[in-house]
Amino acid sequence: MVDRTAVGDLFDGYAPARTLGTPAWDEMFEAPGVVRPAAAVLHDALTSLSASEFEARAAARDRGFHDRGITFQLSGEERPWPLDLVPRVIPEAEWTTLEAGVAQRVRALEAFLADVYGTGQILADRVVPHRLVTTSVHFHRAAFGVEPANGVRIQVAGIDVVRGEDGRFYVLEDNIRCPSGISYVVENRRMMARIFPELFASHRVLPVASYPARLLEALRAAAPAGVSDPTVVVLTPGVYNSAYFEHSFLARQMGVELVEGRDLLCRNDTVYMRTTDGEQRVDVVYRRVDDDFLDPLHFRPDSLVGCPGILNAARAGNVAISNAVGNGVADDKLAYTYVPDMIRYYLAEEPILPNVETYRLEDPEALHHVLGHLHELVLKPVSGSGGYGILIGPQATEAQLDAARAAVAANPREWIAQRPVSLSTAPTDVGGRLAPRHLDLRPFAVNDGTSVWVVPGGLTRVALPEGGMVVNSSQGGGSKDTWVTVDGRRVPRVRAARAAKPGRREVAPDPGPALSFAGTEQQQQQQQQQQQRPAPC
Amino acid sequence: MSWRIRAEHTSRYRYAGPVYSSYNEARVTPLTTTAQLVLDASVKVEPSTRPYRYLDYWGSVVHAFDIQQPHGELVVTGRSVVETSVPRPGSTAATWSQLDDALLRDDHAEVLAATAWVPADERIAEIAAELRAANDPETAARAAVAWVRDQLSYVSGSTGVHTSAVEAWEGGAGVCQDFAHLALAALRAMGIPARYCSGYLHPNADAGVGMTMEGESHAWVEYWTGDWHAVDPTIGWPIGERHVLVARGRDYGDVAPLKGVFHGGPTGDLQVKVNLTRLG
Amino acid sequence: MLSRIAESLYWIGRYIERAEDTARILDVHVHYLLEGPLIDEDLACRNLLAAMGVPAASPAPDGLFNAKLVTELLAFDEANPSSIVSSLTAARANARGVSEAISSEMWEALNTSYNALPGQVAIGRGVGPYTFFRYVRERAAIMAGLTDSTMSRDDAWRFLVIGRSLERIDMLARLLSTGLHPRDGDGDDVDWVILLRSCSAHEAFLRTYHREVEPILAAEFLLLDRLFPRSIFCAVSTAEQCLADLDPRYGRAGMADEARRVLGLVRTNLEFRRIEDLLSDLGGQLRNVQTGCSAASAALAARYFRQTRSVEWVSEGPGIEVAAADGSTRMEALPAPAAAGSDADRLAALAAEEDPVPGADGTAGDDALAEDDGAGERGASPDARMAGR
Repeated sequence: MVDRTAVGDLFDGYAPARTLGTPAWDEMFEAPGVVRPAAAVLHDALTSLSASEFEARAAARDRGFHDRGITFQLSGEERPWPLDLVPRVIPEAEWTTLEAGVAQRVRALEAFLADVYGTGQILADRVVPHRLVTTSVHFHRAAFGVEPANGVRIQVAGIDVVRGEDGRFYVLEDNIRCPSGISYVVENRRMMARIFPELFASHRVLPVASYPARLLEALRAAAPAGVSDPTVVVLTPGVYNSAYFEHSFLARQMGVELVEGRDLLCRNDTVYMRTTDGEQRVDVVYRRVDDDFLDPLHFRPDSLVGCPGILNAARAGNVAISNAVGNGVADDKLAYTYVPDMIRYYLAEEPILPNVETYRLEDPEALHHVLGHLHELVLKPVSGSGGYGILIGPQATEAQLDAARAAVAANPREWIAQRPVSLSTAPTDVGGRLAPRHLDLRPFAVNDGTSVWVVPGGLTRVALPEGGMVVNSSQGGGSKDTWVTVDGRRVPRVRAARAAKPGRREVAPDPGPALSFAGTEQQQQQQQQQQQRPAPC
Repeated sequence: MSWRIRAEHTSRYRYAGPVYSSYNEARVTPLTTTAQLVLDASVKVEPSTRPYRYLDYWGSVVHAFDIQQPHGELVVTGRSVVETSVPRPGSTAATWSQLDDALLRDDHAEVLAATAWVPADERIAEIAAELRAANDPETAARAAVAWVRDQLSYVSGSTGVHTSAVEAWEGGAGVCQDFAHLALAALRAMGIPARYCSGYLHPNADAGVGMTMEGESHAWVEYWTGDWHAVDPTIGWPIGERHVLVARGRDYGDVAPLKGVFHGGPTGDLQVKVNLTRLG
Repeated sequence: MLSRIAESLYWIGRYIERAEDTARILDVHVHYLLEGPLIDEDLACRNLLAAMGVPAASPAPDGLFNAKLVTELLAFDEANPSSIVSSLTAARANARGVSEAISSEMWEALNTSYNALPGQVAIGRGVGPYTFFRYVRERAAIMAGLTDSTMSRDDAWRFLVIGRSLERIDMLARLLSTGLHPRDGDGDDVDWVILLRSCSAHEAFLRTYHREVEPILAAEFLLLDRLFPRSIFCAVSTAEQCLADLDPRYGRAGMADEARRVLGLVRTNLEFRRIEDLLSDLGGQLRNVQTGCSAASAALAARYFRQTRSVEWVSEGPGIEVAAADGSTRMEALPAPAAAGSDADRLAALAAEEDPVPGADGTAGDDALAEDDGAGERGASPDARMAGR
């Protein structure tokens, strides 16, 4: 046991956060000074670091991100990607549950999408009301009749979860359109391995680097029938898109072309890309362009980043669009409230991960309750994203509450209300000291049609201001490398350095012609010897 | 009695400059329903291309095509031969309490909700409430259609394709599209599920066989009061053998005969011609 | 390879070379002005600006040009699209769009170079431009080295090298064609020593000829030398070879590939002409070279870079589903991408300001990372690329 009193400066004054009154769950400490077993090794390693060592690594991290162009814009300035140096540890036992819960959710959502873009059985059985689908702005009738060759509409999902005060994970939101952030998961790990190699020596952390290979596999599996060696591309809105780094990262890691809308061309319901060798057929498009911008023929005609005709090409079965068009019908905040029902209906299973307690305001009773208790609840617009229009009751002013009541009463279908969850905290670097900060987690799942694979860990985002629960990086949020550790105890590193093969002679590099001082010396010695030689008789 | 009608629907775009690339969808092929049977249908596009045919969400027949060669004119011609008849009368027995049932409203949610062309409007809602209070649903629906005919006069060219029901109402004039949209607004405001129908109307009830008449694209509505019933607010009659149904939807946006995007041009001049011939 | 990517690689090659050559030319020029007190500084500077195709309206109150002004214009001025800073910025912007087609080392090197620019410019303005010029040359050398050591000799490499070569030819032709510095009191003779030094060719010349710089020999060296990599002959041959590798087919007669035909003509016209004849009509010959370069560039674009721009679609019929006032906050929040040009760039830049992992409110944690927004449009229009020429 490490002597806790000798703990380095880093943890000085670390006390649990009480942002919403009750103490938040801390990922490292069970109680003040009591480290959770899974985080013990990490804690010890951190305490042995001096503040200046810590600082030096922070500098190396920023330089590394900056040089590699892994940056983001904050008030017009390019900043290095905000990776907090303290990883978040999730023990494997917990992870197994989370993983199963995420996969279960993805399977249910897949079934739901296939259903609502098909026969609508769940609607006929009145498990989910028609209006959830038919009045959703993300239900794209134009996508009706587009049948994925392998049945998969959600190749990639990002299921956002938070850990509540009770230590349980709750699902906050499903993202099954174009979830972003996976590149940062991989880059965070790569950076941590670079600047904290010793931490990895003392932990067995499940790797995340296989994600691009898994994704490629899933995309290839989605190819139209009869295409044995499909051409896969990543479609990006372009270099100015905020997630461009990720698009580029994925294309490079998968070894496929990164295309923009203008690189593509539809002819006779077949998609081609323009190359220096003429047009080349494209079979699978992993698109990171929103539905609304994807196909000017069916959606916004003013889109410059789309490819007209691509949706009909998919309908004709000549190209696979991934994720499928119209997935938004299943991931808005109202659909979210029905996911547990979908799980029971399609999978005949109980949900492994609970939703946060949510009120649907179209129900008059719920509406009445919520209007009376708005100051205790969090109010969210159904179709909004990016945190717009959210009202946090306990922190709102009277005027804000009144405005919100009026807005909700006017259009209840557009709102849901939730119990506020105090997000869990973890030690986070704040000016060279570690302090508790709130965080969430986005695990990523890949569905290749035969199984749903979940990247061990995911993207942990941190709210950097004290007591803040806004993990948005444009508002000063950070991220953490997320470790799923096989065991908290010290485990010898699995990959031992491979011994050199016996029998093989290692040849030193050719030193080149003798130019060194040694060489000149030898020559000089020879000369001297010659000179010293007795004169011939 | 049934009619056999040949419809020839030609849309001709003339562009100011060459168009290099063009993607379109045509909805010009009639539906087969209980009251109507399509005997033959084809779509021809000039410049020549190979359309891809599919059925959309509403069950309409769509011909999608693209043109990649420079062209100054685009002509899409839909030809069809249809046997039409007067629809058999269905139930009109629905009561307001049936129509107000949450489950029934949910089933018909998408044809009760407001749309871009049929927005919710308080004044229309008030009028709808009066009609509803005084009548049973079927009578109220007929009254709504009569109200539309009273409010709008048919003035060709008075509105555009994007004119909403409310705008047309405020202007007091419109064409068949506006009559249909305003009727939908009133019906939906009363809580009666209602949908938009597009198609053709043969202009002459006494047309001789083999005579080709110039007709027009037409629009009317269907509403639910126990069964679906079709009514033509523009002429004020129920649907008969002179109506050829092409597509149904929430509003004009779901059934537009031709829509698409092109690159080049820039703007085009559109001429639409519908020839209808009674064959029998 | 995607046409758009090929085009970007070509322009990366050109921009880096442009930055390097401009730095070389300026370095020598500034040095020359300081060394020769009798030189008409204003005239020399105007000649240089003319050679670089920069309109010569002096920002100085007295209307005269001096070395500092010229350096500001050609090296630091972000408003001048062919300045060193602009060239490196454009190279980096293009590389960003094709970063998966070049090696990550190259991208990192270019990105690092770009990131350090503001600091280097500040130093250059403060203590004199030499360190800045050296910085640019060194970074260009690193890029060239990485191009050759980390890129497969595939089409990507070829397009980059073709761009580099054509720019090199163009810059050297510019430099020679205006006879940069009339030697003091020696009529209109070209100062060949300066020219050689601009191209880092002075020492190579001396090692080759072992004698004082004579106009004929210097011209021969810069125009025709088969071994010196910055000679026009060498650069043309390199570009020709790359073009040949892109499409190795020969027809029965003539030359099907227009770019190759034009460059072949440029090369043979130099190669098989007496140096005396070249010198007697140096201006005309160099104009031919420059014209040939532009023609080759145009031919390359016509063949390999077809339709790499975004297309604006015009809607026929009614607006579509999305046009409905459906109150989707997602959609409303996005700026509608505008047509090409600066507006698009500006809007695109706005889009780029959003959260890289777009996030949200976490209290009760909301949507966490939002999703990609579809908007965003690439900059680096071809017009911008050619500006200043």
